Amino acid sequence: MPWRSSRRSFPEARFLTRLPFRTRAAHAVQREVGRLAALFWVLTIVFILRVLMRYRIRDVARVRTRYRALVKEKGRPFLICPNHLTMMDSAVIAWALGGSWWYLFHYSRMPWNLPEYNNFASQWPARLGAWLTKCIPVIRGGRREDVSRVIKRVQHLLSRGETALIFPEAGRSRSGRVEADSVAHAVGRILTSVPGCQLLCVYLRGDRQHTWSTVPARGDSFYIDFELVEPQSDHSGMRRSRDFSQQIIDRLVGMEKKYFAGR
Amino acid sequence: MTRDEIFAKVVEIVKPYVKNEDALAAVADDTNILEDLKVNSARLVDIILNFEDEFDIEVEDEDADAVNTVGDAVALIQEKLS
Repeated sequence: MPWRSSRRSFPEARFLTRLPFRTRAAHAVQREVGRLAALFWVLTIVFILRVLMRYRIRDVARVRTRYRALVKEKGRPFLICPNHLTMMDSAVIAWALGGSWWYLFHYSRMPWNLPEYNNFASQWPARLGAWLTKCIPVIRGGRREDVSRVIKRVQHLLSRGETALIFPEAGRSRSGRVEADSVAHAVGRILTSVPGCQLLCVYLRGDRQHTWSTVPARGDSFYIDFELVEPQSDHSGMRRSRDFSQQIIDRLVGMEKKYFAGR
Repeated sequence: MTRDEIFAKVVEIVKPYVKNEDALAAVADDTNILEDLKVNSARLVDIILNFEDEFDIEVEDEDADAVNTVGDAVALIQEKLS
């Protein structure tokens, strides 16, 4: 049970955010059903990405070796914060970092995602698919209580040594570049509330991805880079969360500059 | 500080972020900051941090979750000042 082993290596991870029993039970069911069905859905998604869409990840072996070593060394909850250009970013990133077979044996490292409800879960087949694939749909800009409830669920999952992927920009970048003034406060809030949580900033871009889109171009080849980041702040409360979120975005801006400088 | 004074300051702080000027002209306790005034949700954090500076208070994330309307903001500030 991979998530249990990661919990053991993260002894200070307690139920930092005490969720109602029903919610915790629902997560456990979602995770375990997803795990049982992983052979089906993980391979299906990888088939779509690799065979139907013909996507390729540059230096994929090196990327995966580096990521797996990082996960093994740290053994703690991971919050992955990537840039956001297409609706398939989270799938491509998960595939690029872990690879299909690895996730079958390290299921806790398959990231939980927070897709926009209206894009991914407004109809029941999509909702079922999202549920199976470790998604917690959220209405961006929705009622604060609802957004807060989702944040608490992510805090809970991370405190159990799981991995989550959240886009720190408040949506897909309309300019095609990381938007430094578009910061989702939630990432900083989650990070400040889960002690020991590792932050991984990820920069992903297809060679033919000039601006934002629904899906990357078929046959595109992706550049991916990631950095472990330790945000700092002298403040407390919301100001600390805001500082953390801003530092994540700033790091992504730096990674983007590195990408374009190397082209 | 009276409630009316807090209300006036809250409106003043929110004003630069408002996209619906008509709703701002008729602002009341039950005016929803995101839905009626069309403030970007990401900017709500900046607004609350401005509350902290203006009223010399500290607001936790959980407190901020309860702020939906202008009246909620005024009530939160009153509570923190008391």
